[in-house]
Formats: sequence, C-alpha cells, structure tokens
Amino acid sequence: MTASEARSSRISAIIRACRIITRMSQANPDAPKSDVLYYKMLSDYYTRLLNAHDEGKFIAAHTVFFPSEILYAMDIVPMHTETTTWMMALFLGGQAEILSAGAELGLVPEICSPHRGLAGAFSLGVLPRPDAMLWSNLICDNTAKSGELVMELNKCPGFFLDHPFQRSEAEDKYLVSELEDMIHFLEEKSGRMMDWDKLSDIVARMDYQTELFREIGELRKAVPSPFPNRGFLQLLTVDYLCPGQPEAIAYLETLRDELAEMVRQGKGAVSPERFRLMTLFVPPMYLMGLMEKLGHEYGVVSVVEPLFTRWAESRLDPSKPLESVARKAAMIPERRSMYGPLGQEALQDLIDCAEQYKVDGAVYWAFMGCRHTCATVKLFKDVLNEVDVPVLTIDCDIVDPTINSEEEIRGKLEQFFELLEDR
Amino acid sequence: MVIKDKPSTSVPLPTLERFRQVNYAFPKTEQILEHQRQGGKVFGWLCTYVPEEIMHAAGILPVRVTGYSQEMELEDGNAYMYINNCSFSRSCLQMGLRGEYQFLDGMVAGSTCDGARRLFDLWQYYIKTPFAHMLTIPRKFTEKAHDLYYQQVVQFQEHLEEFLGQQIADEQLRHSIEVFNRARALLRQLYELRKADAPPISGAETMEVLNASFRMPKELFNQWLEKLLAELGRTGNRHQGRARLMVVGSVMNNPEFVKSIEAQGGLMVADELCTSTRYWSDPVVLEEGQSPVAAISRRYLNNFPCARMVPSDERFNRILNLVKDFKVDGVISQIIRYCVPYAHDLPLLRDRLKEVGVPVLALDVEYGTSGSGQIQTRVQAFLEMLEARKR
Repeated sequence: MTASEARSSRISAIIRACRIITRMSQANPDAPKSDVLYYKMLSDYYTRLLNAHDEGKFIAAHTVFFPSEILYAMDIVPMHTETTTWMMALFLGGQAEILSAGAELGLVPEICSPHRGLAGAFSLGVLPRPDAMLWSNLICDNTAKSGELVMELNKCPGFFLDHPFQRSEAEDKYLVSELEDMIHFLEEKSGRMMDWDKLSDIVARMDYQTELFREIGELRKAVPSPFPNRGFLQLLTVDYLCPGQPEAIAYLETLRDELAEMVRQGKGAVSPERFRLMTLFVPPMYLMGLMEKLGHEYGVVSVVEPLFTRWAESRLDPSKPLESVARKAAMIPERRSMYGPLGQEALQDLIDCAEQYKVDGAVYWAFMGCRHTCATVKLFKDVLNEVDVPVLTIDCDIVDPTINSEEEIRGKLEQFFELLEDR
Repeated sequence: MVIKDKPSTSVPLPTLERFRQVNYAFPKTEQILEHQRQGGKVFGWLCTYVPEEIMHAAGILPVRVTGYSQEMELEDGNAYMYINNCSFSRSCLQMGLRGEYQFLDGMVAGSTCDGARRLFDLWQYYIKTPFAHMLTIPRKFTEKAHDLYYQQVVQFQEHLEEFLGQQIADEQLRHSIEVFNRARALLRQLYELRKADAPPISGAETMEVLNASFRMPKELFNQWLEKLLAELGRTGNRHQGRARLMVVGSVMNNPEFVKSIEAQGGLMVADELCTSTRYWSDPVVLEEGQSPVAAISRRYLNNFPCARMVPSDERFNRILNLVKDFKVDGVISQIIRYCVPYAHDLPLLRDRLKEVGVPVLALDVEYGTSGSGQIQTRVQAFLEMLEARKR
C-alpha cells in the first residue's frame, strides 16, 4: 500500500460503510427517508475530503464546535477531527491501533480518547494530511491543546481560535476579531478569498437550521415521542459536519416532516413507550446499536439531551455574517451547559427539560476523558433529584470499548429500567 | 545503597522555620485570623492569572486556595467532582466542603482550565462565599487579548468596589504593585542563590518559602524573606547533588516530594510550576503615565505562561532559558493525573529539551504526593542515567 493509499484507507472505509447503509435504507420501504439523506450527507462529506487534494483543494482540519461555516464560504474542505475519530470507531472499530499510536507519542490515558486517537491516526498516516490545523478552546482543555501536536505531526501551519469564556460586548467583539484573524490566516495559507455573499447565504441557512433543531425538539415532547434513540448522533453530526449546508437543511426538513407525521398519527419511536429518558453527555459510539435495541426491548426512548440538542433562542443575521457566526457559538447547547459558567440559568434549564419533556429518568454517560462534564454529575443529579428524576451514571469511554463491556452497560441499564418500573 | 554527594546537614534557618509554621497551620494561620480579627476581609483565589494586587489595594488579604499538603483520601472531592478531575481541584473542593475555608469572604477565579472553572462552579453551588468573581482569561498574548483581559480586570475592580462600597484609588494600586514587586524581586534573589554550584538552600526548603508566599500578608512575607536571605548569606549550608534538576509541570505544594528526590542525591535547582516560578516570575512594569490597572493586567497575561496559553513555545522557550541559566542536567515533569494542558504539552516539551540534550523523567502523580515508592525507584534510575552521561 502506498503512503497515499494508506492515508485514504480509513476515510475510504467510512465512505463504503455509509454507501452500504444508504443503499440498504433505499431498498427498505420502511426506512425513513431522512436516514438515506443522512448517510448520503456523510458519504459526500468524506468523499469531498478524500478527493480534496486530487482536486487541488485545501484541507483544514478543525476541532469540535469550530465555525466551519467560514471554511465552506471559502471553498476550503473541512475535516472535523473528533467526529472523524468517532466515525472510525462507529463504522470500522480498530480503535486500539490508533489509541496505541497516540500513547506512543506520549499522550497519557487521561487525555480525551478522540484526541489521542486522532493524533495516533495522523502519526500512523491513515488520514488525509491537512493543509492547516484549526482549533479552539471551545469546548475544553483537550480541544485547546490538541492543535499544536497535530501541526507538528503533519508539518502544517495552524490557527488557534480563542473563545472568550463568558459573554459581554467586549468578549463578543474579541471573538469576531479572532474570526477576522483566522480568515486572514486562511486566505494567506490557502490562496482562497472569503466569499462574503456565500457566508451570508450560509448564515441564513444556519439561522433556519437552528429553527429546525428547535422544531424537532418541540416534536420530541409528544407522548409517545417520535424520535429514535439512534437519531441523537445524527442530530449532532449534521451540525458538526455540514452547518448551514443545503444537505443539512434537506435532512432536517425531512426529519421534521417525518416526526410531525408520526406525532399526528400518535406513533412513537418505540411501542409501547414506557420510559422517557433524558440523556446527559453521549452514549459510547460503539453502543448506539445497543441503545436502539434496548429501547425497543424495554420501551425506552431518549426524549431530550440538554447538553447537546437544546439550542438557545436567538436569531442569526445574514447581513452581519461574522457577528452571526460568533453568536452561533453562544447558542449551541454545549456552550451553555458544558463550557460556559454553570449558573443558575443552566441548572434551571435542566429542570425545565425534565418537566417539559415529561422525563421519567436520566442517564449520565460519564465519559472519563471529559473532565468538565463529569464534574457536573453530582450537581446535575442533585438538581434533577429535586424534581424527582432519578439519574443513572455510567462510566464509559465514547470510542474505547475496553473501559467497560456491553454486557456490563446493558446490566446497569436494565437495573435502572426496573427501578423506573417500580416507581 | 550509598548515596554520593548527599546534601550537607543543614544549619537551622530560623526564618525558614517560621515559613514552615505558616504552611503547617494553613489555611487557619495566625496571620489570616489576625487580619480578620482586625476587620479585614480574606479572599481565596485560584490560578496565577488572578491579579492579587487589585484585592490587596482594596485592603483584602488574598490567599491562594490550595488542597491538602499531603496525598489524602478524597471521598468528598470524588463524590462532588468525579474522579477524572485533577486531584488538586478535588482536594481544594474537599477542604472547602469540610469547612476548612469557611472564613473566606470571597472567591476569585479565572477561566484558566477545566478543573479551575468547574471548581469555581461547584464552590458557588455547594460552599458559597459572599463575593464571587470569574475572570475570562484569553489564551493568547496578542494586543487584542491584552485589551480584553484589561477590561476583565477593570470589571473585576468595579465588582469589588461595588461589593465593598468603596473606590480603589490608583495610589492604593501603585502601593500594592510596589509590595508585590518587592516580593517578586526577593524571590528572584532567592533563586539567584540556587544558580550556585552548591546552593545554600535546597529545593524542598525553597518550596516552603513559595507556599508561604501566597498564604500570608505580602508585607510580612517580604520582611521574613529579607531575613531569610540574610540568614542564607551567613549560613555555611551548601547543597550538592549527583545531578542538577528542574521540576516542571502543574501545581505542587508538598515539599516532601522534592525532599524525597533530594534525599536520593538529586539537587533541585529550578522549578516551573503553577506554585513556583510561574507565580512570581515577572514584575508589574508601570510605565510613566500608565494606569496601574493597565500595568497589572499586562503583567498577568504576559507572565511566565501556563500550559493553557497558545503558542506553547512561549512556555517552552522560557523553560529552555531556565535550563541554561540554572545549569540543569535533567528535567522532572510532574503532572497531576487529569491535568490535561500539561499532559498535552509533554510530548512537544520533551522534543524541545531533547534538542538541547536534556533528558526528561515524566511522572504522573496525584496532588500532594510525597514521591515515595515507585517514584523513588524511577528517580533513582534517572539520576543514575544522568550520572552516566556525565562520565
């Protein structure tokens, strides 16, 4: 295998997996159309990445919650680093190899596994080489610190986007100025100029996209709830990979319409619906299938994920594209509950979620690599217990299956469902 | 096993003993209690990016919130903060939950790292203080970042003035700058002594001074440190070792850790920790006509950087300078488990040090460790390797 082939092997495998699922969904008359659009969106994203250098395009790798709207407006091909590690875990397995390679670089196990895995994947040369690395401190120290090693491994330039921790006029201005600096950096390194009209269009679609997220959130309040457990990851990924892109809008509109029809018909994602769960943080990627299966076995459905799918009420203004991109950073659900100061407002929102979504219980996936979310396990539990919502905490790793077995997790969840039954 | 060049038996240094007593009694020290008896307020602060001068100028005694000086069971810390947060923040939180910091009138933190900001969040929810403030700390050194941080410091000052119901005059700030700069200058004198082939003060003894520096009134600290420097000038104590070492990494408050390394013949001549050089390194430079707050804010953002700052080479270059200035043979990286910023830096720092021929011993530790057991074995092997390189 040539170095170039090795670099594309993992991405090719993700594309193949997505295409197979797309074809299977197309062939299944009962499969939702949104599934077809989602997997096509994924395969198109990774195909663009795979072909980028052959087509003379510039690849920018970037960390999670990064404003890739700017990259799309500049016709730069984005590579979402954490999601790409997740996708490798989800579709391909073989996490051990890339995590071992990360360890050989000197990255200790306490570092978030997607970042260790990513560095490992670059050191093994199994991902396309980025032309630039972009990273930021949104959402944690791991994202803030992951960029420089990736730059060294790929011998590429990089830009760190400094997100202010709190919100004020001065802090918002600072973030806008950071975005301006980043655009200058990208223009210089890529030779591509910012297309401001295109960015305005993307912002307009992004504004609509956040409305779609909210509409979907509202539909999930229905009893029974129409949204399947496996859909959670799709909702995250669509914004991570294709914010404000036509394919994201097509997927979300289709999904919204499908959910609205189910609500109209009184159909739930599981039947009968027995327990409505709040999901805190993310279930392990490699157990998404288990969550779906358990949902049907026990009549359990995740109806709300306050840390990931509850967008703040605000609008984006296409006539002020850069300010809007900055504002979006403050609207994302993760910003409020995971990154920003954990004030009373965020805690009240948790209670509101429990009440509005008629939650029976919550599952906190305590991802050992995510320190700042785990620091809220007890706090969230205390707050939710005040409104009589029991919380199950499960230690896990989102990409590394060696931390705990599927059987162990299944056992804990089954016990929790029994507890909910007793109540 | 015979240890060659064991540090010479020390002649007692009376002032060092006084510093030890402060650390032993902390947080309920005589000086803190006396300050409160006289009606003064005491504020706790987290991380080196919190400008102490602002509090000092308002008549507040700023003390650094630290955890237990020894490795402890952290049942409460684990329960409230989960085990995957660094043991420093869990240790601090446990002390707070158990009422050890009940006397604090305020808590001030910066958005420096995940552990610090979550510690602040949980402190507000479960412990509470009459005053609480969080500063946004930019991660860059650009002029725009300086502008933002300056505004943050101004906001902090205004919040404090509102809380106290009094203005903080520029004159008071200038005085505080002088007091704190004096402490920094004295600490620099102390560190100059460590450059000697056989320094009069050990690394463990230096750590006693450093710990006291953020746990007592600065005016008194300065008086005591002046006395200690005079005592060190008179003493015949000379510390020698098998190799000159520097410790780098996150926060550390237990001198026993350094002592255990020095007991094996390592001579700790320099350090780059949240609680050492990175705390005191740079003075506030007040230019003619400049506002004191502007000078303070510039110093704090430009100070010897924490691993949180970007680019990391700013920190690495300063470490390389220390290695050169203090003639360091080997570097011990002590990183508290789950202290992610330093863990990410380690592979890059190791490469930079390798380029100048300085080996690194990387130790994953818990906060408060005394460096016993396996750590001793690894230090011993590291010292042997350094000796072999000299031959």
